[in-house]
Amino acid sequence: MIKNIFGWLFSPLGRIALLIGGLTVLSLAVWGISLTQASPEQPIQFPHNRHVNFGIQCLYCHPGASRGPVAGLPTQTKCWGCHQQMQITETSELLKPLVQAVENNEPIQWVPVAIVPDFVQFNHRPHIAAGVNCEDCHGDMTQVTIAENPQVFNMGWCLNCHKEHSVDNPELRTKLLDCGTCHY
Amino acid sequence: MSKKISRRDFLKLAGMGAATGAALTGCGPASRYVVREPYTQMPEYTFNGQSTYFATTCRECPAGCGLVVRTYQGRALKTEGNPAHPVNQGKTCARGQATLHGLYNPDRVTDPVSQSTRGSRDFSDMDWDAAVQVVADALSNTEPAAIAFLLGPAPDHLFDLVSDLTGAIGAPAPVRYGALSMFEARATLIQATESMLGESRLPVFDLANAGVTFSFGANFLETWLSPVAYTRGYSRMRKQEKRGYLVQFEPRMSQTAAKADEWIPLKSGTEGMVALAIGRLSAEVRGAALPRAFVDVDVAGVAEESGVPVETLLHLAELLAGAERPLAIPGGAALSHINGMATGEAVLALNAMAGNFGQPGGVFLSPVPPNVDEYHHPASLQEMGAFVEQMKAGDIQVLLVHGVNPLFELPNALGFEDAMKSVPLVISFATFPDETALQSDYIFPDHHGLESWGYQRIAAGTDRSTLSGAQPVVVPFYNTRATADVLLAAFAEVGGELAAALPFADEVAFMQDKLLPLVENKDANFNAAEINTFFAYFQQLGGWWGNQIAFTAPAQNTLNNAMTVAAPEFEGEGEFVLLPFVSPVLAESGANKPWLQEVPDPTTTVMWNSWVEINPDVGHELGIENDDVVRIVSEAGAVEVSVYLYPAIRPDTIAIPFGQGHTAYGRYAEGRGVNPLDLLGLKFNEAGDLAYASMRVRIEKTGRKRELARLESKIGVYGEGLGEEH
Amino acid sequence: MKPIDLNEMGAIGAIAQEAEGKWGMVIDQDLCTGCQACVAACSMENNIAFVGEEDASYGRSLQWIRIERFWEGEYPEVKMTPFQPMLCQHCHNAPCEPVCPVFAAVHSPAEDLNLQVYNRCVGTRYCANNCPYQVRVFNWRDYERPEPLNNQFNPDVTVRRRGIMEKCTFCLQRIHRAEDLAKAEGREVRDGEFTTACAQACPADAIIFGRLDDPESRVNQLSKPDRGYQMLEELGTVPRITYFKEG
Repeated sequence: MIKNIFGWLFSPLGRIALLIGGLTVLSLAVWGISLTQASPEQPIQFPHNRHVNFGIQCLYCHPGASRGPVAGLPTQTKCWGCHQQMQITETSELLKPLVQAVENNEPIQWVPVAIVPDFVQFNHRPHIAAGVNCEDCHGDMTQVTIAENPQVFNMGWCLNCHKEHSVDNPELRTKLLDCGTCHY
Repeated sequence: MSKKISRRDFLKLAGMGAATGAALTGCGPASRYVVREPYTQMPEYTFNGQSTYFATTCRECPAGCGLVVRTYQGRALKTEGNPAHPVNQGKTCARGQATLHGLYNPDRVTDPVSQSTRGSRDFSDMDWDAAVQVVADALSNTEPAAIAFLLGPAPDHLFDLVSDLTGAIGAPAPVRYGALSMFEARATLIQATESMLGESRLPVFDLANAGVTFSFGANFLETWLSPVAYTRGYSRMRKQEKRGYLVQFEPRMSQTAAKADEWIPLKSGTEGMVALAIGRLSAEVRGAALPRAFVDVDVAGVAEESGVPVETLLHLAELLAGAERPLAIPGGAALSHINGMATGEAVLALNAMAGNFGQPGGVFLSPVPPNVDEYHHPASLQEMGAFVEQMKAGDIQVLLVHGVNPLFELPNALGFEDAMKSVPLVISFATFPDETALQSDYIFPDHHGLESWGYQRIAAGTDRSTLSGAQPVVVPFYNTRATADVLLAAFAEVGGELAAALPFADEVAFMQDKLLPLVENKDANFNAAEINTFFAYFQQLGGWWGNQIAFTAPAQNTLNNAMTVAAPEFEGEGEFVLLPFVSPVLAESGANKPWLQEVPDPTTTVMWNSWVEINPDVGHELGIENDDVVRIVSEAGAVEVSVYLYPAIRPDTIAIPFGQGHTAYGRYAEGRGVNPLDLLGLKFNEAGDLAYASMRVRIEKTGRKRELARLESKIGVYGEGLGEEH
Repeated sequence: MKPIDLNEMGAIGAIAQEAEGKWGMVIDQDLCTGCQACVAACSMENNIAFVGEEDASYGRSLQWIRIERFWEGEYPEVKMTPFQPMLCQHCHNAPCEPVCPVFAAVHSPAEDLNLQVYNRCVGTRYCANNCPYQVRVFNWRDYERPEPLNNQFNPDVTVRRRGIMEKCTFCLQRIHRAEDLAKAEGREVRDGEFTTACAQACPADAIIFGRLDDPESRVNQLSKPDRGYQMLEELGTVPRITYFKEG
């Protein structure tokens, strides 16, 4: 009986149907996963490359990185400081949300790109102090508009770097490989 | 003035820039799609990812401890004590820590509202202009004598403003009340101080330098007057080169008695007699001439009445006689008897005999707070009774309530709820939907204390003249408005000559005006050339306090008049004397803070509910076990509550904590536990304080059981044998 | 087969080893008034959830520090034993560590503290069963903190979810903040520069936190050999908290 119901699967056409079905499920899964990995919609299609190419330093807009845990997003007054003097601010479609936000004194709702899970307590300051450059983790901003992560910020990646930096310093190594350095 | 406006703008911006809470669910996709709002303008002194700290004053109780609040992106995260503040010197109690659960309480009154009928909880939102108009109409259309303000116990800037306002329109001065001042029997303490030390002020007991301390029911480690200041004093007392010794006299072992070296479980109301007996015996031990005050004392009679054996009295007298710096403190429950005044005088007489008035380790008069010409004290319960009578007689047409919840904090027997029915217009300025607010016509919510400006005079607990400063640490979370601002706006609305009496744009202008006299004073923690700089320091440092240790040495009292303390009288029928005591954790307004509900009671470790403490032997005799629900019946009322068999309470006494039993006040407080004030009668002592410790009650079994959540059950299961033998 | 290096696995506590320790605490039971300020302060600092009456009566409340007291004798000769704040003792040889199958309870070699790594924890609760001090607490549910109570969360501390064991960290976030600041200024952390939330709140100054490896520190200066003892010393856990007896 059972064989009769599923018998058609063993016919050539049935095998092709099975293959198509399998591929559909697989591609749906891949699409679904890629959705979760894609950069989310930002309120402004912010061109990092253009700003960096003007010679603006990372720390000009994200000054928190040298001081403490959070690099921070710039206030719109900071954006406006330059943009109010620029012709393009009036004409560009891309900049409309900025103009609107400034006019209404409403914050721009950015979607953070470089984030770590909540159980990780990350602090920018010691990394900058240890001579790590922004692009070492965040990638080359001359190449992207909206920031993209060049790699997944997972623990193996963190630890590799921590290990490399502490090869000849056992005390530092203890500190950098300690669970409690990042998890509490 | 522009300075102040920019400051307000700053706070507004701080709030607007508040980062939305990051998703807190771990590493799932949700946390990928959080939204972050940067500040539109970075506030002054704020950096990304770094905390900003603001000094202010704790408003959880009237003690007035200084706080430093950690804020982060416009949110208040943590309260710490202000290390420079003379009251608490960097420390806080549990209530001060949990004040953030008031600020971010999910059940706050969010907008000004009117209520269709009182108690209906059918609210309609108003805008603030309409609210101000309601107050203005009430002020202008009512005979001034029929306008009554009822305020909280703290002497703060709102009290000053309302005093000025009522003075200007010819209305009666505002009445201040709080359950804590009732439990402390402040009126009795102040009157006893007047009769023994010559001035009508709160005394300060220098616990820190005392050698042997006899505390007659003063629960100074819990809620009495200024608990953090007295706990500091206790700590220093124990750390002296010769460790200070503490004896506690009370019918139930409180947290303070648990820390005492000796606990004397005397009969409720006999504290004064015992004090006199110890005085007499100690004079005899020392072989000195017997002061007149003690000649009439019949030691054997006292032993009989109080249940303290003569040998114990003699031992205590020897202890007192041999002590280097003895100190005696009269507490609230001891004074809350018919004989309360005499008890207060008797206990102070022990100090007089020791000659410690104005001496280190002795009794001082509380320094006069700056910026005040006379000593104000909260209303005693008798005065509140008179207030209620006025309401009942229809003499009060408009009642404005702020900072106190009389329906919860006054005994039912006083009839405040009934009397409210005779008042045509009741306006509440409550931050939370408490019982009184729900029986009002309008609720015009004030900011939470951490969102407010203000100052508060420190009435007890400091060694110097102190004016504690408050400022908003975060922008108001809801559509609330400072009551002082509402009153000023309403007053301006009334217009005419009257408005000229209070020509202030807002409460900050009013505060600055009141602070002006202090600008000249150079002998303080800071000084400045003019008011704006002065005010900036005032905010930054958390208040103003003098440099001089201003313990006044009172006039030496003689013990030339014979003193007697009458035997205590009890009201009603029943086998047991009821001892209501203030829950050290919840006190009068902590029940709506979930973390305070979950903090175990220090002595019983019970959380989240009320209990009645019964001696285990009595329990076994009556066939009552732990967690049995019993009915406690007094002349005035009855409550049903679970039993806690408490090993350290006199068999003739039962005790119920005050703090629970709300019928409103938000989801964490409502319908939880019982209010022992429902059982109290209306007997007053000579000073007008309620004799709350003199009610007889009987216990009826209900046959039901309701388990109490206790921390100790956990220890009982797992922790057998934990700790060292001592 | 590669030999197992216990150090690398974070199970160093399994090896009995005397060490001086880095961070430590002194609790003076003569001064502790049982006022619970430390309990509230800890809860506020460390994003501890409240569990409600029902779960609290099952003994599931999540406080990282609790005040114990016991009764001795019967009325009228009854006495309450001195209030005893009980929190993670940060044992050098911690019994909780070797029993964790996923190495969530590990020893921090850098700070010499017991850690609980939330992202590793799978909730076996072996560690809690093996802790002689019963100071580990387990999240039996996702405890709700209704809006806007969540505004009070400390961003420096992970918010734990259901199925995770947690315990006192000696305010590791404060240790890191102080160390980071000191490093930025090119110096060592000074004793008394920062303290834990419980010690900061304590009105009686009964809790003192500081550096054990600095002979000048307050915790070392305070030690009173005649009064000091450690909880369950005989188990050889080498706790980092010293208690002072009453008197």
